Amino acid sequence: MSQENAFPGSADSTLVVERSASAEARIAVRPGLRLTAADRPGVAQPVPERDIPDRPWGAILLAALVMTALMLGAWEWHWRSFGVEPSLANSDALWATQRRRIDHGEGDGATVLIGSSRMLFDLQLPVWQKLSGTRPIQLALEGTSPMFALEDLADDPNFRNGRLLVGVAPDIFFSGFAYRADVLRYFDKQSPSQRIGQWLSMHFVEPFLAFDDPDFALPTVLERQNWWPVRAGMHPRKDVRKLMVVVDEDRASHIWDKLEEDPAYAALAQGIWAQHFALRPGDSPAALQKGADEQIARAAKAVGKLRKRNVEVIFVRTPSAQKYLAFEDKVFPRAKTWDVLLAKTGAPGVHFQDHPELQGFWLPEWSHLAAGDAVRFTQALYAIVERDIERKTPKSVARVRRR
Amino acid sequence: MVFNSLTFIAFFAIVLAIHSLPLAWKIRKVNLLIASYLFYSAWNPPFVILLWISTVVDWYAAQGLVRAQRPVARRAWMLLSVVANLGMLGYFKYGGFLLANFTALLASVGVAYHAPAPDIVLPVGISFYTFATMSYTLDVYLRRALPARNFLDYALFVTFFPHLVAGPIMRPTELVPQFEQPRRATRRQLFFGLALMTIGMFNKVVLADGFLAKAAETVYDTDKIPGALDAWMGTLAFSGQIFCDFAGYSTIAIGVAMCLGFAMPDNFRFPYGAIGFSDFWRRWHITLSSWLRDYLYIPLGGNRHGPRRTYAALMGTMLLGGLWHGASWTFVAWGGLHGIYLSVERWLRRHFAGFRPNVWALLAFGLITYALVNVTWVFFRAKTFSRAWTVLGGMVGANDKAVPLLGTESLVVVTAIIAGLVVTHWLMRDRTLESLLARAPAAVLSCTWAVMAFAIIATQGNGNAFIYFQF
Repeated sequence: MSQENAFPGSADSTLVVERSASAEARIAVRPGLRLTAADRPGVAQPVPERDIPDRPWGAILLAALVMTALMLGAWEWHWRSFGVEPSLANSDALWATQRRRIDHGEGDGATVLIGSSRMLFDLQLPVWQKLSGTRPIQLALEGTSPMFALEDLADDPNFRNGRLLVGVAPDIFFSGFAYRADVLRYFDKQSPSQRIGQWLSMHFVEPFLAFDDPDFALPTVLERQNWWPVRAGMHPRKDVRKLMVVVDEDRASHIWDKLEEDPAYAALAQGIWAQHFALRPGDSPAALQKGADEQIARAAKAVGKLRKRNVEVIFVRTPSAQKYLAFEDKVFPRAKTWDVLLAKTGAPGVHFQDHPELQGFWLPEWSHLAAGDAVRFTQALYAIVERDIERKTPKSVARVRRR
Repeated sequence: MVFNSLTFIAFFAIVLAIHSLPLAWKIRKVNLLIASYLFYSAWNPPFVILLWISTVVDWYAAQGLVRAQRPVARRAWMLLSVVANLGMLGYFKYGGFLLANFTALLASVGVAYHAPAPDIVLPVGISFYTFATMSYTLDVYLRRALPARNFLDYALFVTFFPHLVAGPIMRPTELVPQFEQPRRATRRQLFFGLALMTIGMFNKVVLADGFLAKAAETVYDTDKIPGALDAWMGTLAFSGQIFCDFAGYSTIAIGVAMCLGFAMPDNFRFPYGAIGFSDFWRRWHITLSSWLRDYLYIPLGGNRHGPRRTYAALMGTMLLGGLWHGASWTFVAWGGLHGIYLSVERWLRRHFAGFRPNVWALLAFGLITYALVNVTWVFFRAKTFSRAWTVLGGMVGANDKAVPLLGTESLVVVTAIIAGLVVTHWLMRDRTLESLLARAPAAVLSCTWAVMAFAIIATQGNGNAFIYFQF
């Protein structure tokens, strides 16, 4: 930066006016190095010259393509051997396609599902559609409290005269934990380029490649190897592994078959949940209750807004089992959370422990239903909603919703 | 549209196919122009209007400069360009920052003023294309260049998609002459351009996003207090991330342009092999540092008016250079630190002009340079001064309540990548990538290319924007 030239003068016929006996002449360039703008202060910069190494680039490219194809083939084979099948990515962009349906004409009278992974895996869209004649819009997100979606829908006048099923997984709902709450920001700012990319990925990549899943991304796979010793002072925490498969473009999903077929993988998933059963320092009962009360207050406000637009909100406590259920009962006892939620919001709720037909299912990793049981659960839940809740809904409201 | 996206792959394939058709040169240039506007619109269509404004204002300003006879008139046309471009930049990039500082200033004198949140969206790449268009008018004003002969060539210079949103910041004299003659890539240019795109993509998707970003985020985007190891590793990770991200972008851009038959200048020259800070700035973001030198530092007096003025020009240039990167005082601090480094180095060079270091001393100076550059990255990466001081405290071992933040795998991966990066930069400091490739066996090149391509696909980048898009 400290070098500079006097500014030489006039012009010739082209755009580049002058370089006089400029930089190239003054600066000794070592072999293998070329000048850059850093070497030519205060002058018009010339057209860059780029040398191409004298190598057989056509043959090099061809060989590289063959080797890349072989490596990718081996990588794909490895993951298919692990039990993975190609499926759609549960991406922010896919969520945005479903959220957009509400703003693009389907929000009037729609049945919308929000919640966390249990609502996403356990409620089967084709079954609900077969029973009701309408396919719900699936907006549940794994590891994420539905509060952001509840408030977003409450503020969206395009959603009216419909029904909203809100999945309640106590540890997520009443803590407000939101692993993927940024999805709303993504939805608001999604660019045309991202929308095109989603379409291309959904049609030309995801249906064909099993390894195209964040769980099998190279850095993630390396990080999850057992060869890394645990650093002193750090807890050996494991991230949640792949648990689901998206089977349709509208985010219809179910639990991954491997959890049902591979006991070791199910045990790994259980072990990962168990990490969360030990409360962290600072998670006192009083602090947890305060957090739960805040979430309930937010829910009550949002439900009030939705009710004014004739949207029926139904809370659904989806099943959990064994140690997971024991953890939820201990940390988020029903009397202080679920019951308060229904009382404060005035909304109806379906708790799986209140209905025998919602019990007795197989949950391979204590938190999500096996795929076959998810079908039976959906059938039973639909019947309960129609029988117990729809009957209590004022006829005028029900009539409007059925239009 | 970002390079590391499926959308870009499809877009580029179509553009390249049309560019390769036996059509008139003018039609192929129109294809490139339309493609460039689509490339920009794919992010946020309305902001293409800003691009048009910048393009048209500078076109007419340069025409006016040629016609004007009196110095006053010439200066007026030049100022029109500068005010229009800096005005747009000021509003969109610094509007919120200025308002926040104005509010804080009033508060400091006891006036409670609550301005409404401006909620201004920053148009992507505005810092880059305003500098490119300004260089056009300024080169004409400084009589370094004549205006372009036709509007199409000029508009294509401003908009040409490989450099549009994140550089390299092109000068008109570098690009407009390339549009005057028909261009189509040879097979060798096409293949080598694809090789460069793969190298750039590997830097961005695999190294920057895949392996380095997480360590930097873990240390910087938390309230936890890092000790010396974590603070240094997080900062080193960021030094690698920002290089691989930005140099990766530049390499892809150069490769894309080469596939279309055009040449773009180097933007990086192995900067972590620099010995001293003037050397660093001749290697890091070359097209920006040379822009600031030619249109700011030299007009401020450069080194023509004695040491004091030189130091003042240096500091002024680097402070504004810092602000160019982002509307935050932390970026100003980053630029200020570099200004201080450059000034100290200049002073040392004057007072120890006879000193001739041996190779070990050069190595030591190189490592000191890299370490001190890392200190500046703390201010660049930290979102607040408070976090910057916390990380710096960790780096000097002054944090008593530090907790371990990075796991073993992060420490090992960051160490391996950064060591590899710094050693490579040191060994390549007096060479170009092309000179290395020219001597490499073809089998090694094929294998390396394949491994990079596999790693890019297996890493599954999620289309993260390049860091410099926000600038």
